[in-house]
Amino acid sequence: MMPDFPSATQAMAAGQVAFEVRDVSREYPGVRALDGVTLTGYAGEVLAICGANGAGKSTLARLLAGQEAPTSGVIEISGYSGHVDGPADAADAGILLMHQEPVIIDSFTVAENVWLKNLSSAGSVRPWGIVDRKRSETTVAALKAVGLEGVSPDRLGRELGPGLRQMLALSRTQVNPHRVLLLDETTASTTEEHFKDVEALVERERADGVSVVFVSHRMPEVFAMADRIAVLRNGKLVGVVRTSETTPAEVMTMMIGEAVSALKSPTPLEGQEAPILEVSNLTSGSATDVSFSVRPGEVVGIYGLVGSGRSSIARSISGNQKRSSGEVKLHGKPVLAKSPRDAIRQGIAYLTEDRRKEGFVKDFTNGENLTLATPQNYSRFGVINRGRERKRVRELIAEYQVKGGATTLTRTLSGGNQQKVCIAKWLEARPEVVILDEPTKGIDVGARLNIYQIIRELAADSKGVVVVTSEAEEALMLCNRILILREGRLVGEYSPTDSTTDDLIRASLGGEPA
Amino acid sequence: MTNTTTTDTAPGRQRPAIDWSRVGHWAKEQYPLYILIVLLIVAGFATEAFFTPRNLTNLILQVSVIGIVSLAQFLIVLTGGIDISVGSVVGLAGVLAAGLFSGASVPLAILVAILVGAMVGALNGYLIAFRGLEAFIVTLGMLALARGLVYAYTEGVPVIPSAEGFRAMATATVLGFPVIGLIWLGLAVVIAFVVRRTVFGRRIYAVGSNKEAAHASGVPVKSTLLGVYILAGVLTGFAGFLLAARVGAGTPTAGNLYELDAIAAVVIGGASLVGGKGRVLGAVVGTLIFGVITNLLVLLNVSTYLQDAFRGALILVAVVLTTVQFSRRKRNKRLS
Repeated sequence: MMPDFPSATQAMAAGQVAFEVRDVSREYPGVRALDGVTLTGYAGEVLAICGANGAGKSTLARLLAGQEAPTSGVIEISGYSGHVDGPADAADAGILLMHQEPVIIDSFTVAENVWLKNLSSAGSVRPWGIVDRKRSETTVAALKAVGLEGVSPDRLGRELGPGLRQMLALSRTQVNPHRVLLLDETTASTTEEHFKDVEALVERERADGVSVVFVSHRMPEVFAMADRIAVLRNGKLVGVVRTSETTPAEVMTMMIGEAVSALKSPTPLEGQEAPILEVSNLTSGSATDVSFSVRPGEVVGIYGLVGSGRSSIARSISGNQKRSSGEVKLHGKPVLAKSPRDAIRQGIAYLTEDRRKEGFVKDFTNGENLTLATPQNYSRFGVINRGRERKRVRELIAEYQVKGGATTLTRTLSGGNQQKVCIAKWLEARPEVVILDEPTKGIDVGARLNIYQIIRELAADSKGVVVVTSEAEEALMLCNRILILREGRLVGEYSPTDSTTDDLIRASLGGEPA
Repeated sequence: MTNTTTTDTAPGRQRPAIDWSRVGHWAKEQYPLYILIVLLIVAGFATEAFFTPRNLTNLILQVSVIGIVSLAQFLIVLTGGIDISVGSVVGLAGVLAAGLFSGASVPLAILVAILVGAMVGALNGYLIAFRGLEAFIVTLGMLALARGLVYAYTEGVPVIPSAEGFRAMATATVLGFPVIGLIWLGLAVVIAFVVRRTVFGRRIYAVGSNKEAAHASGVPVKSTLLGVYILAGVLTGFAGFLLAARVGAGTPTAGNLYELDAIAAVVIGGASLVGGKGRVLGAVVGTLIFGVITNLLVLLNVSTYLQDAFRGALILVAVVLTTVQFSRRKRNKRLS
């Protein structure tokens, strides 16, 4: 069968099998991120893994890199017996993972960052060893190979901008022997100019007999670099195609598939009612000059890729983040929420994307979490009326169908039930405008419908609703109007009745409309 | 939406079951209380001198002041903070209560002590809550600052107050029980009410357990923290007055190392130093455990140096015990 490779450094002849993924599934609580994926990678070949948000691309990359173990199925790396478990094994097996967010230590110099992965292998390089090598030709050559010849090895990691950081991380390909190179959305933060360097690097890697796996949803890059394209959708492998035998449109279609709609899409709102929420020229974080309005009873979707500034909009309106400029009006009156407390007092509630960190208090019971935002409803002179509180909590648990009692710790519930608690907490404060940031993130299908139902009822109750989402299907299913955000700017507005998931995804990627 | 709920939640049916498990849960959490009971039994057998009215009175006098300081520490630990300046504040409040206005009036002395504590607490709280500094380092500075002020004010000599009744509060008894002990227990009840039954108390737990979630849910995190430090300062200042009253003078070394005893008592009582977990009863029991051990070591004529070692060992054992508790609970959860 396979010849034994004594070391990871040894190159393979092109066309040899580099890794095999056989019937691999990976489950997280409530979600099946990967479902029976079988895939082979060859030496001297660039394999692109494409898919929409949540299709399982990054999960597959993490499994290949041995950072997580599959729930079922086998991953075999040629020349490495046994399974890869953790970064140390991955290095032994010759797998090099480039993360979406480059791993750069801010307080280390550029040279030290180049050799970062060798710090763990005791004996080969020691701190003083790095100092010795600082000016060594290897380091300089490694930097030159990724277009960083102008960057001094003595500068600190924190002095580099996002594009340079990614290239610095990529320079490790020059000093860390590997046979499989995983690029997980590595180009997401690189600029045009550096993209050429990445392309050149990948080209060299391929010539050296490395099996390159390139995770991306950017069609131009995929078609510029990849030999084959594997498309994932909802955790399943839809197909593997040769780049030379397909078109970007075809791959897009594979990525998107047909939207399975459980609810009837709403239509754009009729009538001329005055908006309940007006946002003008809002700039905050990665969001730039964003203007839109929401009318009572309207659900407005904000759709965009990760990092497009979706959350910045939501967080700055609701006092969770400072805004640099712009104005927000509620019922025609300007409001400036300096804190979430401020926001909820003025009638703006924000359901956080990060439920575990910000959604509920981890040591609190359902009852305590449900009343966290509205203690004034159950207290007089600051003293809690426990009878009244308990009664209301029981009503809420029944109304929102939370599985678990009033004294169950919220953190022990499933994601969907936790989310119901978080939503109920906010709705108790009777907000005028409700902003939901990824309301169904990590939530299984059943609870999803529950949450959609709640959002619809909110709109029926004449509230203004903003849903921030990275799922096109969800946007179409829930919203009267969908705004597309790309690189911090609103680039389009779609109606759910005459657009498809395809339109939204294309618009958010920056492609031409179909 | 409402007609489907009876199947899965049925609050009416669950209620007695929850109350029952609550009792069991409560009993399971009370291991400090069991340690105290075992300790009292051991003490009774170890020396006849322990269960004598005189020794018990003495014991209560000794633990009451530190007990009140532990209540203050408990509040701060609940928020996830720590206050190592309490001992120095006890000292500062004590000497100023006895010295300012020449200690002529007891109510005035109490007021001075409480105000000193509140001011120090407000400064600590401001720096920690509004300037975002580490509680440990802020109160470390305050520890040195307050103690330094004590020495500067007293020039190393105890301050004798002129009021005749200055010692009354600390020496009086009701039916043979020291008033100072009643004050301690009374304050414990008040603090228990504050943390369990008021909005402020709920916010303390929320901030200690998960500051981000509390902030995002509209809890005024900073003012809650400030409030806690001020309240703790008031308790500590008052404890400073009581100590001066017990001794009959504001001594410059009063309250020295109280921070260690108070932190130990709170941790032995089951509060988590990470914040968000703990009961007032635990802090009271923790103080008693510490007091009983100290008392017992004295009765058994253990050398002073060894006593310190014993108490240090006790803290370590208590901390290890809490981790054993937690891991067992985790395992149980996994099995079920």
